[in-house]
Amino acid sequence: MKTRLAAAGAILLLVGTPAAAHRLDEYLQATTISVEKDRIQAQIRLTPGVAVFPIVLANIDTDADGVISEAEQRAYAERVLGDLSLTIDGDRLRLRLVSSKFASLDEMKEGSGEIQLEFRADVPTGGTNRRLMFENQHQSRIGAYLVNCLVPGDPDIRITAQSRNYQQSLYHLDYMQADGRSGPRSSASWSSSWGWLGTAALLLFAGFAFVWRRARTANDAIAQK
Amino acid sequence: MSFLSMRTACSILAMSLMCLSVNAPMAQTTTSRIVSAANVFLSTLDQKQRQSVLFAFDDEKQRARWSNLPTTMAPRAGLSLKELNPAQSSAALALVSSALSPRGFQKVQQIIEGDEVLKTGGANNPLFGKDLYYISIVGTPSEKDPWMLQFGGHHLAVNITLAGERGVLTPTLTGAQPALYTLNGKTVRPLGQESDKAIALLNALDENQQKQAILSYRLADLVLGPGQDGKIIQPEGLKASAMDERQRAMLLDVISEWASIARENAATARMAEIKADIKDTWFAWSGPATVTPGSNITAYYRIQGPHLVIEYAPQRLGGDPSMHVHTMYRDPTNDYGRRLTAK
Repeated sequence: MKTRLAAAGAILLLVGTPAAAHRLDEYLQATTISVEKDRIQAQIRLTPGVAVFPIVLANIDTDADGVISEAEQRAYAERVLGDLSLTIDGDRLRLRLVSSKFASLDEMKEGSGEIQLEFRADVPTGGTNRRLMFENQHQSRIGAYLVNCLVPGDPDIRITAQSRNYQQSLYHLDYMQADGRSGPRSSASWSSSWGWLGTAALLLFAGFAFVWRRARTANDAIAQK
Repeated sequence: MSFLSMRTACSILAMSLMCLSVNAPMAQTTTSRIVSAANVFLSTLDQKQRQSVLFAFDDEKQRARWSNLPTTMAPRAGLSLKELNPAQSSAALALVSSALSPRGFQKVQQIIEGDEVLKTGGANNPLFGKDLYYISIVGTPSEKDPWMLQFGGHHLAVNITLAGERGVLTPTLTGAQPALYTLNGKTVRPLGQESDKAIALLNALDENQQKQAILSYRLADLVLGPGQDGKIIQPEGLKASAMDERQRAMLLDVISEWASIARENAATARMAEIKADIKDTWFAWSGPATVTPGSNITAYYRIQGPHLVIEYAPQRLGGDPSMHVHTMYRDPTNDYGRRLTAK
């Protein structure tokens, strides 16, 4: 890895003139997250800089034949997914690759080619207030990260807070969800549901006690008369 | 003189006068002047060139074919200035000029001139240069029906949709490298006002407001740049409802740097829309809150409202982030004039 970074540095010295118009020594990884009631969808766009392209390529073109085969594309996409972590209310979600699109080798060599991956995860039913955590550790030595949440299309979902670390490799998103839905339930959601049931039972009991007490007071008054 | 020689400038002026004379008997509207300029430009082309420059109005691929990258890295379609003779080139620039405000056209010229400086400073690097800017027309120039004018290349993508007298400038990308250069003894900063007005606004905020406006993380690039059409991200930073009237006026002044690239009637309508939304508009800043006098900021900022996204993103590429800037101007509810052209 050290040798590769040194090579990247040498390339940077060669191409890092004021005339450089394209990404150089970073591997830009921009993620947009879309929150829905029963799933999270996301897109990650990966753009290797010219100087770090050899490092990235070595991870994709694993047989080093100068061609990125479909199998190598799939393997790399899964590898990226393996470096991502998505949790909801503390429960880790399984990411599933939906699609992948690789720019040509020439485009990536020039620093203009993107790799686009789309993935999704099912979200278990939970409470009203939810917390999503997303972490990207892919190629962290050269990674430049962006992560954003799209404004939810569902009016029942409202983003309440976002926070990130300085590099944007770690992202927290708090949101409120107005109603429940039919996804698989997590333990957190069950405990939340039991909480609601308990509250309802308590209110019912208080109501009965109030009615019983009023009736008893009325009976006492009649008896006194 | 900027990238246009005196001779070329005179040609553009002559072309503009020709456009005026085409409809002289009738009252000239902004759109009719632009349509006249488009027809004059088209009349200078041969059949093959016309085929290259004209696209069907429903050509979504062409609509989205723009980038901050040099044209050799992200190919554009249409006709480049390199492919045009001087008369055709003047007519093309007269058309672009007719669709923009004088300041907007000057900004375009300065961005292009900057690319020429980049070329000559890089031993005539073929990636850059003032000839590598493309013009295209999507649809048929009309005073009533919608059509679109595109002009762009490295660090520039002007997308103007016209529908009757209404004009929409989004999405438009401006950028500059070098973002400060000297030409004929004068210092030029194509996006200098975007930098100066924004830092003035940041400095006009009190400590508590700055805490809200300044994000705690790095932004390496545009979030909603090329290829990100239709996306609306969750806004962040300081909401303008928490600003006072003077600060909101300063925010509007920053926004006007993009809105007023368009012709006056379109810019006025756009600013009225943005002003109506201003209390729901957010201002976010990431990076140094100081600037060397006379230079550009090295911080990223974003202005986002219900009908607006502006991003200003300095780039590390080339060494000095104050010398390389990308900016993005969008209306996620009306990019490419979708609201005007929806059937």
